[in-house]
Amino acid sequence: MDSTVEQISDALKSVFGKLEEKFGARLLGSSVFRGELTFLVAPEDLVEVATYCKAPEGLGFDRLEFLTGNHYPERIEQPFEVAVQLTSMATNDRLRLKVPLKEGQKMPTLSSLWPAANWCERETWEMYGIEFEGHPNLIRLLTDADFEGHPLRKDFPVRGLVGGRIRTDLKGKI
Amino acid sequence: MTSPQDPRHPHINGEMVREASEREVRMLAEGNVDRPEEHVPGVAIPAQLEKLLGFGRSFSWWPLLFGLACCAIEMMATAGPRYDMSRFGMEAMRASPRQADGMIVAGWCSIKMAPRVVRLYEQIPDPKWVLAMGSCAISGNVWDTYNVVQGIDSLIPVDVYVPGCPPRPEALWQGLEMLRDKVKQSDHAYDRVRVIPARAAIGE
Amino acid sequence: MAGHESHPTAPPKPRATPEEMRERKRLSRQRVSDDSEFITVSMGPQHPSTHGVYQAVVDLDGEIVVNTRPNIGNLHRGVEKLAEVKSYHRFLPLTDRLDYISSFAMNHAYAEAVEKLMDIEVPRRARYIRTIGDELCRLSNHLLWLGVHVMDFGAQTFFLICFRDREYVMDLWEMLCGARLTHSYARIGGVAADLPDGWVEKCRAAMEFMPRRLAEYQRLVEKNRIFLKRTVGIGIFTREDCVAWRVTGPSLRATGMERDLRKTEPYAAYDEVDFDVAVEYDADVYSRYLVRMKEMYESCRIILQCLDQLPEGDYINQDAPSQTFPRKKQVMRDSAAMVQDFMQTFRGPKVPKGEVYKAIEVPKGEMGVYIVSDGSSIPQRLHLVTPTFYHCQATPALFEGEMISDVVGIFGSVDIVLGDSDR
Repeated sequence: MDSTVEQISDALKSVFGKLEEKFGARLLGSSVFRGELTFLVAPEDLVEVATYCKAPEGLGFDRLEFLTGNHYPERIEQPFEVAVQLTSMATNDRLRLKVPLKEGQKMPTLSSLWPAANWCERETWEMYGIEFEGHPNLIRLLTDADFEGHPLRKDFPVRGLVGGRIRTDLKGKI
Repeated sequence: MTSPQDPRHPHINGEMVREASEREVRMLAEGNVDRPEEHVPGVAIPAQLEKLLGFGRSFSWWPLLFGLACCAIEMMATAGPRYDMSRFGMEAMRASPRQADGMIVAGWCSIKMAPRVVRLYEQIPDPKWVLAMGSCAISGNVWDTYNVVQGIDSLIPVDVYVPGCPPRPEALWQGLEMLRDKVKQSDHAYDRVRVIPARAAIGE
Repeated sequence: MAGHESHPTAPPKPRATPEEMRERKRLSRQRVSDDSEFITVSMGPQHPSTHGVYQAVVDLDGEIVVNTRPNIGNLHRGVEKLAEVKSYHRFLPLTDRLDYISSFAMNHAYAEAVEKLMDIEVPRRARYIRTIGDELCRLSNHLLWLGVHVMDFGAQTFFLICFRDREYVMDLWEMLCGARLTHSYARIGGVAADLPDGWVEKCRAAMEFMPRRLAEYQRLVEKNRIFLKRTVGIGIFTREDCVAWRVTGPSLRATGMERDLRKTEPYAAYDEVDFDVAVEYDADVYSRYLVRMKEMYESCRIILQCLDQLPEGDYINQDAPSQTFPRKKQVMRDSAAMVQDFMQTFRGPKVPKGEVYKAIEVPKGEMGVYIVSDGSSIPQRLHLVTPTFYHCQATPALFEGEMISDVVGIFGSVDIVLGDSDR
């Protein structure tokens, strides 16, 4: 990792140094691509790391840019991943935290830190079936309440499970 | 006067109302549909009077103020000053379906929206006309996915299809002209089939 | 609301300071008693003023909004799922249909992200054309927004006036790419075609004419007492709220924060033109209106500068044949270009393994694209971070403590298009 760290800006280098110093071996890894810094964090450490990132006396990444999931079916051990992108409004630096997850493993919610995480987590749950512990209202957001399946999983067919032209069962709805 | 049993000339209380369409005749012959006189008492208007009504309606066809997606922006442009739908008496978009004469389905219809589209359609009083605007409303367009209804005519009967992504205001305008001809003749899709596809799909 | 004590012809009150407004908002929230019964009102999804198929279930204490339960997803169509089965080039037209009022800005955001992933340069001329395109989108978006927003307060004619001038922008787009609304004009590494003959002159004429029209709008709107009463001091959304809910764009700049990605991390040709970031300080509906008005003037200024400085050269990158399309004219003449075109269309571009996030300033806010690539020509994961998604999410905080009659205006003032939020 050390060779690629040279590619990032000085501000991000100091972020890198601070995070490495504070959490050290608890971070699962880091990577740099196109000047973007990414840290791999275990789910049990996430809230602590995110709180440190958000705090003004910590790193000052005060805005949540997005939170989303990803599915790698080829990874047998930990097929799911949640990516959290943070932005510092003062310096416009960006930092990404990624959390690898096992099938069915729960993740702590970030909606108490950033209200904006609320819908992002609902969407991630809806699309990947990743549960967020402590989320106030984990229900479907974009699809219908009785929709079955998690559409963005790689094994979900693009055309859905129902088929036909209407692609849903309208019984009881009209 | 022909006998009331002749499906070509539906009668209500012994009075001829209008010519049945080919499709209606076929469906009546196959026994697929109820007889019109059992269905809608509203058609019990003499044919000549209905023509007069259609003529009147065609100059003040008020669509439902209902936009789904991109096409709604072009629909607004058509109502705008350059294309000026109000020349044809079609600019008065009604926000309530109960005041509307039909709807322009402008945009893709997701499965979450589908029950609402059907409900809005059913709330519009008869006679009603539907114009499917844009590829998404016609066939689902590129959205061949888990959450999009592949064509609005699988939910509600459609009178006029206007292709395009989105159709230009001129295209919508031509579609409205075609619709106006249908309105003049009091010829609407629901009257032909007497089946709402969404209801048929769930066996009602 | 000022109430009944002021006569309609009386001069408007001096504008309240943000502190006074916050105090007023706090007082209005206090009126909510815990034991009272709430009236629940459902607005939408078919509602004349929800700007699309947005549904808000609002709990009311008298006329005060206590709680809002927004419901989106009525336009969800699985764009992100489709991205995982389409190559990078083929996905581009789908981005048009995200925010269909400013399609090109969406194309641009996506193209910028893919270019960052591939690490390819965009020729200088293409960067200028993209800047012009972005600003034309901003103009047409804000004009539409203004017409609809003022119509929300009851002025139907103003909507028609705005549409009259929006057609001039539409004409420019039509001449440029043939489409009025869904442009698909950007390409990875540049734009689809060069500017047609006579376009520059036509665009310059329109941009010199537009500020006069904008001044006319300002005279119409800013002296309208009804508009002022229904916007000034209504819908306060502070800077802290904006950061917490990730509300971006004009709503953020109306709180006094000078954050505009065109300045903070310049892309396209924004570092080569001179413009001011529109900022207002009152954080209310009227401030958001003022920010958008100022932005329209700046857009005209940016476009005129770009037209003056427009450099010669290619409109699409020609140094990366495995990643970009050739010039369209060459395809029919040159066999290598034809093969390149064929390979790009049917196989897709060569993309390195990695993941990037790139955000640009689209008319509604900050639009980001997060791409995870596994090295094939199809994205492993593509997440569209759209501004409206977060704006819709912030609506409970925006509406809380406001009058039910102001909800429509406040909702309009953050500028929402549901195709953008539902994806």
